[in-house]
Amino acid sequence: MSASSHDAQMRGFKGYFRNLGRGILKYKEKYLLILPGLTWYAVFAYIPIFGLSLAFKKYIARLGLFGSPWIGFSNFQNVFADPAFLQSIFTTLKINAGRLLFVFPFPIFLALVLNEVRLGRPKKILQSVFTFPHFLSWVIVASIMVNILGQRGLVNSFMGGVFGAKPVSFLGIPSYFLPIVYLTDIWKSAGWSAIIYMAAIAGIDTEQYEAAEIDGTTRLQRMWYITLPGIKSTIVVLLILAMGYLMSGGFDQIFNLSNPATIRVAETLDMYIYRITFRGSVDFSFSAAVALFRSVINLVLLFSADRIMRRVSGSGLLA
Amino acid sequence: MSTKHYKEKNHFRERFELLDGIILAFLLILAAAIVIPFINVIATSFATQKEASETALLLVPREPTIDNYYRLFQDPRIVIGYKTTAFILLLGVPINLMLTTSLAYGLTHINFPGAKFFFYAILLTMLFNGGIVPLYLLMMQLGLTKSIWSVILAYGVNTFYFIVMRTYMTTLPESLIESAKIDGANELQVMFRIILPLSKPIIATILLFYAVDRWNEWFNAMVFLRRNDLIPLQLVLRMIVMDSVIVNSLSISGPRIPRFTEGIQTAAIIVTMLPIMLVFPFLQKYFLKGIMIGAVKA
Repeated sequence: MSASSHDAQMRGFKGYFRNLGRGILKYKEKYLLILPGLTWYAVFAYIPIFGLSLAFKKYIARLGLFGSPWIGFSNFQNVFADPAFLQSIFTTLKINAGRLLFVFPFPIFLALVLNEVRLGRPKKILQSVFTFPHFLSWVIVASIMVNILGQRGLVNSFMGGVFGAKPVSFLGIPSYFLPIVYLTDIWKSAGWSAIIYMAAIAGIDTEQYEAAEIDGTTRLQRMWYITLPGIKSTIVVLLILAMGYLMSGGFDQIFNLSNPATIRVAETLDMYIYRITFRGSVDFSFSAAVALFRSVINLVLLFSADRIMRRVSGSGLLA
Repeated sequence: MSTKHYKEKNHFRERFELLDGIILAFLLILAAAIVIPFINVIATSFATQKEASETALLLVPREPTIDNYYRLFQDPRIVIGYKTTAFILLLGVPINLMLTTSLAYGLTHINFPGAKFFFYAILLTMLFNGGIVPLYLLMMQLGLTKSIWSVILAYGVNTFYFIVMRTYMTTLPESLIESAKIDGANELQVMFRIILPLSKPIIATILLFYAVDRWNEWFNAMVFLRRNDLIPLQLVLRMIVMDSVIVNSLSISGPRIPRFTEGIQTAAIIVTMLPIMLVFPFLQKYFLKGIMIGAVKA
């Protein structure tokens, strides 16, 4: 490298930094504005992300999150040797596959049907009723369900009073747990999820309907051949997005609806992480290994979903 | 608008088909499935034990009483719950709003060194997060566990709300900012005198978002606090309901005085749910707007 080009390079660097310095000075107020928010992200979002490196360490409380010694992959060996971990992955996939099958289509159906209500006011009232539960926490919704489905709850006293049926403890029977998860999920969030589909329906060209009406089609035919295809792209986007969350989600719901009697069928990956981290004998490195596994799987699922979407609709989910 | 409405009405009167009947019946059944549990919970909270156990479908108590509420408020946890949640709300929401607003305005125009990097670093947290385990250890190391600040600081900026607010701010005319700057205003003056007044609707929306989130928050408090004198209302409700589930599942029948647990439980549900019910009309109006802005971006 000749001396002159070296000088030029140095000047380039200096110039770059001088410009950068000027830029920073010029926008110093903007930096001041974003400083508190960025500090929050750095401390409470990025430190935990880098803290996942604990998965490769042996946690020693005295040495802390970043001072503990590295031990390689042995935490992962322990994780994959734990049958409860493998079981929790299976349970998560099972519950979320069920959600895709039973819960996912319901808001689509609801939006199609709501769209056919031609009276303005009843439609608004119905929509309010359907969206309200979305704003309640799962603690509240689960408490309501405990009251409705309990031994002395509404369902049992009604069935007993009208049909003389014996009381059933619905929330205490493992085989009822998944159906209750799907039904309460629909109960809480179908109305809210339907809003997105309603918006998509509102965007369909009305000329199509007029033309079809002139052709003498029935309303059911129009729902099937115009409305449904009209929101197909929205359905596909949301379906793929839901597939990106196959390994996560639903912690609040499952945590609040499950109890010792049903935990066997209710321990999802998130529930498992909670149990091993905050109940009983605690090994934070082990927990971190599970958490890192979970985050990586979620990221892979999301990127796969993005790839699939690019292929299907030409534009991805991300950016 | 009014003529269109009139036309729709006529249209409807002309052809009320079988399909309309089926659809309406279906929707009414669905609405009943949502409303009846609420009415039953409200009715039970005002009923006596005798009436609750004798009525097959309790919707309106014949002899309403506030006994259950009276007994509920004798439970010291309810008072603790209200206090803790009020603390979290009053300290947390202003911090949420301040962080989100200043960040959204500061990054509205990605035109200064590092802005792009910061923006994508923020978006990345939507795809990848550390989860509760390292966050808990961080809180321990900062000495914040058992302090209300752990709950307040764990939820600072919601990235989705940040995007919604920033998207709104990008729609404000840039010429206003330019002319203010020519008049010698600095960034802070521009923000407080021009941007914030123009962003009132979106700030109100995000304020509601955060207030509801804070009201409904329980998980961080359960993990970080673990103190008997610092329990948010949601967790108090959970305790009251879970107590009875455990009592029922073990069918403990000792020398205890038979208590009307359903009455207290439902009263607890009502006092936890009431604020959300009261702000629901606003929520519905504003949340829809928020979703639309968010949807445009996504």
